[in-house]
Amino acid sequence: MTAQSRIEAQMNLMLRIHVVWRGLVALLAAISIGVIWQRMVETPVWQKILFSFVCVLVMIFSGYGAYQISKRNHAGRMVSLTLDYLGFVVCFVFALNVGEFFIGIDALGENFGKGIPYLGITVLGYFLGMLEEYFPTKNKGAENSLKTVSKWVMLGGFVLFLWQVNALNGIIYFLGKLAQPSGSIAIGGLVIFGLSLWSMRQPNTAQALNVKTGHEQIINGWLFLSPNLLGFLIFFAGPLLLSFYFSFTDSDAIRTPNWVGFENYAKILNIKFVTLDSPDQLARDVVDIKVYDEVGRFTFGNTGILFAAADKFFWLALRNTLTFVLFAVPLSVIPALVLSNILNSKLPGMKFYRAVYFMPSIAAVVGISLVWQWLYNATIGYINYFITLGIEFWNNLFNVAVVDPKIQWVSDEKTALLAIIIIAAWQTMGFNTVLFLAGLQNIPGELYEAATVDGAGAWNKFWGITLPMLAPTTFYVVSTTTIQAMQVFEQVFILMNPAEGPNNSTITLVLYLYRSGFQNFQQGYASAIAWVLFIVIFGLTLIQFQRQRRSSIYES
Amino acid sequence: MNMKSYRFVRFLNNFGVYFVLTFFAFVMLFPFFYMLSTSFKIPADTFRYPPRMLPRDPVTIQVEGYDEALPLYFVEVDGVRNEYALVKSNIKVGTYAPADDLTKTFERFLSEVKPTGGVMNQQKITVNGEEVKLFDVEVDGQVIPMILIEQTTVGEFIDPQNPESEPVFQNVRLSEPVENVSWHPENYKEVIELNNLGRALTNTTLVTVLVVLGQLVTSVFGGYAFARLKFPGRDTVFVFYLGTIMIPFVMLIVPLYQLMVLIGWTDRLASLIIPWIFTAYGTFLMRQHFITFPKEIEEAALLDGASRFEILKDIIIPASVPALATQATFTFLYAWNSFIWPLVIINVGNEKNHVLTLALNVLRGRASDTPNLILAGAAIAIVPPLIVFILGQRFFVESVAGSGVKG
Repeated sequence: MTAQSRIEAQMNLMLRIHVVWRGLVALLAAISIGVIWQRMVETPVWQKILFSFVCVLVMIFSGYGAYQISKRNHAGRMVSLTLDYLGFVVCFVFALNVGEFFIGIDALGENFGKGIPYLGITVLGYFLGMLEEYFPTKNKGAENSLKTVSKWVMLGGFVLFLWQVNALNGIIYFLGKLAQPSGSIAIGGLVIFGLSLWSMRQPNTAQALNVKTGHEQIINGWLFLSPNLLGFLIFFAGPLLLSFYFSFTDSDAIRTPNWVGFENYAKILNIKFVTLDSPDQLARDVVDIKVYDEVGRFTFGNTGILFAAADKFFWLALRNTLTFVLFAVPLSVIPALVLSNILNSKLPGMKFYRAVYFMPSIAAVVGISLVWQWLYNATIGYINYFITLGIEFWNNLFNVAVVDPKIQWVSDEKTALLAIIIIAAWQTMGFNTVLFLAGLQNIPGELYEAATVDGAGAWNKFWGITLPMLAPTTFYVVSTTTIQAMQVFEQVFILMNPAEGPNNSTITLVLYLYRSGFQNFQQGYASAIAWVLFIVIFGLTLIQFQRQRRSSIYES
Repeated sequence: MNMKSYRFVRFLNNFGVYFVLTFFAFVMLFPFFYMLSTSFKIPADTFRYPPRMLPRDPVTIQVEGYDEALPLYFVEVDGVRNEYALVKSNIKVGTYAPADDLTKTFERFLSEVKPTGGVMNQQKITVNGEEVKLFDVEVDGQVIPMILIEQTTVGEFIDPQNPESEPVFQNVRLSEPVENVSWHPENYKEVIELNNLGRALTNTTLVTVLVVLGQLVTSVFGGYAFARLKFPGRDTVFVFYLGTIMIPFVMLIVPLYQLMVLIGWTDRLASLIIPWIFTAYGTFLMRQHFITFPKEIEEAALLDGASRFEILKDIIIPASVPALATQATFTFLYAWNSFIWPLVIINVGNEKNHVLTLALNVLRGRASDTPNLILAGAAIAIVPPLIVFILGQRFFVESVAGSGVKG
């Protein structure tokens, strides 16, 4: 027997083991489906369906992989690598979970404070290493020693950090937990999947399965993308689908959800307009008040129209949110446009102003709302104080007697929403200024020069060149500000007490969603609200997009 | 137009520009100044009207013969304003006048005036159809029965340099206290130690650091795969990623909550970290950055036998520090400032796992009569991101601008 044939025989055995392994995985997946539907009675249907779906996929692909490997086809290697990799990841996460790694982050929070200074040392060490890039030295030896020092400082800082946060105890605890039976299963899975991966990655195996040159890139591509993609599917795309499903159920986060069809949406959209005999006719005379609540009424001369809805709070929230958007967006965009045009001049100090304007947008909305809460205070707040000073000044200047309005701000239903609008405009204005500024700096200067030659004034240049050229930026600014404004929540939640404000004047869609889903625990209904909110946002963005496209067509 | 008037117009123009810019800068910065100054005040000072910027304390003085330090007030004696110490407050003073001539008034301490005819049997007189009590008031050694018209309280002030001299009586509430500017950093100590802000600060730091690191790793790998590696399905997945960027987070809040219930992470810091490590937006930004990177360098390295991972680690990442710093700053702000998700997922009672925004929400209710503490808490939440911003300003503002132009 030659060495050549011996290797071939080994390879045959190896591939046969792989075929068996793939078959085994397929079989396990099939058994799991049976177990899910026979034994797990308590589990909600969507989880059963999801698990079965995964099992079916594993079964099919594993079987297909076994067939392809036996045919010595490279597709078998791809399928095998994918499945084993996924299995490896699942076992790894499972092992971390059994060892209470994720829950252990809480314990880390306990000691983390003590470790922060040492983490600071580590970061300092990193910057020490960076130093030589900024101050390049001719002396090669000094450079190397700086790098070495930086490395040791980083290592030392990190070890001290681990010591301070009690990492050793954590590892011992983790290993102790892993010793449980479920931990052994996880580790066994890790070893088996790992071995299978390793043997498939061997050049010999690859050759035996007729691998082509481009495959390495495919594997790398999916491998690099996989952490992101898996997390994205589990924590974003999956929940998004789940949200859609919940919106058709009466889910309350505890009991098994029941399918209710379009009931949630029907309740939200159940509205009625009734013409009134007289503008102040009572709502109960014209609508069934067991179903409908009055949302508002409009009067045109002598005729009144009553607006009633099955869910009055949703429509109040929609009204407030749209009002908020209608005022907050222009209030933050138009001053931003003006300021950016001023900042675009070549005068000294513009970078300073730009940085100052940017500051509100990076501060926590919760903190900012607390600050404004005291600024808005009706008796001792600065805003009313400034108004009083302004009115006194005005009265003295023109010898008139304007009366100080003594605005109650957050406790008056007429001004509560205005207070929120002002905060939001204040906070987003600087961000928008910077965006506009970037757009302005991209407009070619020749356009302005040409216009100057033609004798255009500053105003004409603004309308004729700046605004049209800025249209894409304006679209971006307006649509992002609108999307953000549609989700207004934190300001009202912090500033208003209760958060709905006086007479529901500041109840917003997200606030109502929060109330429905997490205070009344009508999570199915809250999901439906979320989808309606999404449709409104999508619609608004679409309208803006259409307008922008129309104006740009007109431009060209 | 001659040169001189042109210069004058330009000067006026520039003056106007700076005036507008400075006005807006004031509007933008004022709430921050207010927050910082209030956080160093004592509670009484925060409720003062008209409000003042700098924190001030009432000044007290030790005077011989008095055990406790006495508060100082401005008192005007014979047209001279002087600092006097308040010895005794709440001294009752009555304004008395004879019943037949109410314009002739005399002020006397209530304690010095005796009821006419004794306490048990006080005499009364009818004035304007009402029965009014009579008091014996001494005027220049003469006792005249009078009626009480008005009653106020005053304080007794003495000259601290000369405690034996004649005391001055004056209304305390209307007197201006002597104050000096003094800062109270102990407010910060109090919110950190007594109101759980310390633990919340630690938790927020931990969560933010882990989210930033985790997100950088996943989006660098993902972005590189999208930008540089060719594999079937790449473009489909990328379009899918792009499509989700616009979806608002509140869409996910209910199902993500249920997912956390399923995994058992409700009330855990893990729920604030793990779901936020994977973002479509961050991956998109990284891809946009990597795609501008010259291909030739990579191809040369590949020919030298370097693996993709080595290329990423040794060539691309070192050359992308500004982009990474920008993304890290974005993520830092997002993680540090997030509120609605912690509010939903972390129990109100479980203060151990509160992050800063949650702790502030609790503090708001608990310390509603001490704005100095609330605003000290707000400063703890707001100042670290400001420092990060000031340090990373150059990268950050420029790249915000860049994202707008590309988007």
